[in-house]
Amino acid sequence: MSYTLAEQSWLSKFIFRAAPASDSAAWSDGLFMMIFWFSTFFFVLLMVLMVYWTVKYRRRPGVPAPVSPHHNTPLEIIWTVVPSSALLVIFILGFQGYLSKTVAPTGALELRVSAWKWGWAITYPNGAQSPETKFLEESADGTVVGNKYPIFYVPENTAVSLRMSSQDVIHAFWIPDFRTKMDVYPNRFTGYTFHTPTLGLEEEVFDETVGQNIPGRDMWVFCAEYCGDEHSRMAATIRVVPQFIYEQKLAEWNAPKDPVELGKQIHEGRCAICHSVNGTPGTGPTWKDLYGSQGLMSDGSTVLKDDNYIRESIYIPAAKIVAGYAGNMPSFQGQLDETQLDGIIAYMKTLSQHAPQPAGSDTGAEPATESTESQPNETTGGGQS
Amino acid sequence: MSTIDATHTGPHGHHEGSYLDGPAGFWSRIAQWAVTVDHKKIGVMYLFAVLFMFFLGGVAALAVRLELLDPVRDVVQPDGTSVTTGYILQSIFGATDGVSGNEIYNRAFTLHGAIMVFMFIVPSIPASLGNFFLPIMLGAKDVAFPRLNLLSWYIYVFGSIFGVLSILMGGVDTGWTFYTPYSLTTDADHWRVVLMVLAAFILGFSSILTGMNFIVTVHKLRAPGMGWFDMPLFIWAIYATSIIQVLATPVIGITLLLLIFERIFRIGIFDPAMGGDPVLYQHFFWFYSHPVVYVMILPAMGIISELLAVHCRKHIFGYRAIAFSSLGIAAVSFLVWGHHMFTAMGELAAMLFSALTFLVAIPTAIKVFNWIATLYKGSIALNTPMLYTLAFLFLFSIGGLTGLPLGALATDLHLHDSYFVVAHFHYVMMGGTVIAFVGGIHHWWPKMFGRMYNEKVGMLGCVIVFIGFNVTFFTQFILGTQGMPRRYANYVDEFQLLHQISTVGSWLLLVGFLVHLFNFIHSLLAGPKAPPNPWGGLTLEWETESPPIEHNFHHEPIVKHGPYDFDTVVPPHCDPKDFPLPDKA
Repeated sequence: MSYTLAEQSWLSKFIFRAAPASDSAAWSDGLFMMIFWFSTFFFVLLMVLMVYWTVKYRRRPGVPAPVSPHHNTPLEIIWTVVPSSALLVIFILGFQGYLSKTVAPTGALELRVSAWKWGWAITYPNGAQSPETKFLEESADGTVVGNKYPIFYVPENTAVSLRMSSQDVIHAFWIPDFRTKMDVYPNRFTGYTFHTPTLGLEEEVFDETVGQNIPGRDMWVFCAEYCGDEHSRMAATIRVVPQFIYEQKLAEWNAPKDPVELGKQIHEGRCAICHSVNGTPGTGPTWKDLYGSQGLMSDGSTVLKDDNYIRESIYIPAAKIVAGYAGNMPSFQGQLDETQLDGIIAYMKTLSQHAPQPAGSDTGAEPATESTESQPNETTGGGQS
Repeated sequence: MSTIDATHTGPHGHHEGSYLDGPAGFWSRIAQWAVTVDHKKIGVMYLFAVLFMFFLGGVAALAVRLELLDPVRDVVQPDGTSVTTGYILQSIFGATDGVSGNEIYNRAFTLHGAIMVFMFIVPSIPASLGNFFLPIMLGAKDVAFPRLNLLSWYIYVFGSIFGVLSILMGGVDTGWTFYTPYSLTTDADHWRVVLMVLAAFILGFSSILTGMNFIVTVHKLRAPGMGWFDMPLFIWAIYATSIIQVLATPVIGITLLLLIFERIFRIGIFDPAMGGDPVLYQHFFWFYSHPVVYVMILPAMGIISELLAVHCRKHIFGYRAIAFSSLGIAAVSFLVWGHHMFTAMGELAAMLFSALTFLVAIPTAIKVFNWIATLYKGSIALNTPMLYTLAFLFLFSIGGLTGLPLGALATDLHLHDSYFVVAHFHYVMMGGTVIAFVGGIHHWWPKMFGRMYNEKVGMLGCVIVFIGFNVTFFTQFILGTQGMPRRYANYVDEFQLLHQISTVGSWLLLVGFLVHLFNFIHSLLAGPKAPPNPWGGLTLEWETESPPIEHNFHHEPIVKHGPYDFDTVVPPHCDPKDFPLPDKA
């Protein structure tokens, strides 16, 4: 069952900003509004009585308070039983809606979500990962820049189930438009489900890779469990597109790529939140002029930042910490494979004046290969922390 | 509760002086207070200590709101370079070594939470007003274990010093909940997190000792003639609170100790990297920290019951319903901790905890209905304590009702860890507890310090606080439903307007509290002398002088009437002409 965008009332817009994007989201909005009107009714009733009686029975000098009962058992029973039964109804409806958000139907498209400080990645059933990124918001005059966040494509009118785990601390994957979230743990899988909406005829988003609008709808993803410095910038975009675009994208992402282009995409989607490419220091060192430079480590040693240093820093980040940084980076062992590593190194070379020019592909520009994997890191042997 | 007192010679017949009297000389006064076992002095010392902590936590709150005035943006300059704007706190404090703008914010909200929870709101009402008035309301000379009472104050100060030390060393960025594994890995080479956790651990002992002391006092030291159902409802509330404190606090003690061990000795209980389980930490943590929510709110409910009855000059409606609902809340509060973790548990557990959560809403609703019914046919004085009582009923009702969509599972999945939760618990903790606390301080101020405060200024302060509170926190409900996660130093532009409104509200709150502060200082310096019973209360504290003598009563009081028999008894020290009794049919 797919959910098509209905006309959103002003009240729903005021309360929820975005219209609910699925049946179960619309259902839980309905429950919210039911609780809202129930609460408003009783709140107004109580407050009207409070203000009315406060005014009516205000103190008049010399006039005693009239005699009134101290208690009334039938009244106590009524105002215990009536709210109790209302709460029972709310509880049952709440559980029903919870099941529709957590229990995935058979045959749902399973997406594998991984989280780390501070970013998200989704692995699709064919092994592909989305390399595309965009700004969460763009101002009309185009002056606002900052971080780009990954775009995760999902096909329209499809049941999706998420299987999630974290590489370090606890995160939470919240898609406000689907009105649901779940914590993401380092030691277990968690997950939930949603049914993507059917796109309306006029719903379009701008696709940077083709430079034109495509049918689609973008939704925010926020991290909702506090995870440190860049918690507030741990975001992503869910992009609902027609099935054929989704399939096209997946095939495209799986095709071999130019390493520099691949590295740039990985940087934007995963690394840019901490590592700038313009020289500004962030949570981690900038990548500008990093490759091939000599750098001071927190233990006082000096290290040449070559292929193996970069490999080690990505897979075992705690091994060497650059002086002045806290060592916040999680390991990407098992997250980034050899091809992706080659891409990152190739991209870093293009950013560095210390790197040999790519035209003459001599020794320094050679990407790490399997043969270097087992060798000890000779140039930086003394720098272990 | 009038006393049969054959040798009664009026408030000034004896030479026994006020508890505030002391030896001449500043240092001998200090020495006298430092070793006092008088529950009143200890209560006053607690009052100043927790109000100081409220000030510190408030400064952190203002810093948090200030940072959120403006989202962080990278703005491209005309020459093509980009400049980051919006790190307000960083621009005030300057770029400190290796601490990012986000981390400054993270430390600010952690300080706000840790100070307000562990050092302010948990001890606030029981340790200050409770210490001062519980023995007097029972007709006792002191609490059951006066020396233990002083010890608990010193433990509180000792624990707070650890917390302040951690702040002076730079503060922590774990959030007040210390969730693992983040709290195990952040600032790995520093002791700040350990110090802050240790502070919370030590403060727990102060809480346990106070709770135990009160339980024994209520059981053993009630004045002759005072049965359990002749006790003022404030006592019932403090009694229920004490039970929770004694039963739940050891759990957080053990949990925090394990957290310290985990950080120092790497024992592998909470850290998944060593086979531990972070969800286990959450279960342990909330097994204490949910009941402690009721440690915060039950005493406030007790205050409201007293203030309503006295200032409406009317018997509280449904005495037993209110008393038993306090105990009911205390009992059920131990069974609902899981609702803090709906996004971390399986379907069965979530269902059970959701059902139990709704159960705890019922006794709370019963209290509100009974309070509103108390207004009916009263003789209602509109003064600062009464205004605060009405503000409490308004704000606490919103706080309670907004708990419903959080208890319902389907809606909680959306609202969990959003600003909706932030707004909800501020309506309960601040709109409930702090509002009742400030109302209670006004109500008992003449008794504690023997001076009246200026009623008009007090009411003005209350109105400003009420407006400021709603401006600050009502906007946060909408931020939450619209998709704003909590603990964010930065946010997308769409949320900016609501954040700005909220920040302006926090400045209004500051103004309101400063008005009260001014009023209190003015009262201490130049306020008119307070009569023994300015409001016409019937509980025992109004029988003694203002301020009370050192042993509270000249003779042990014998209780002859209930605490709320306003329709049959003329309050002590009051002119019957001002307190006409209704004609009996």
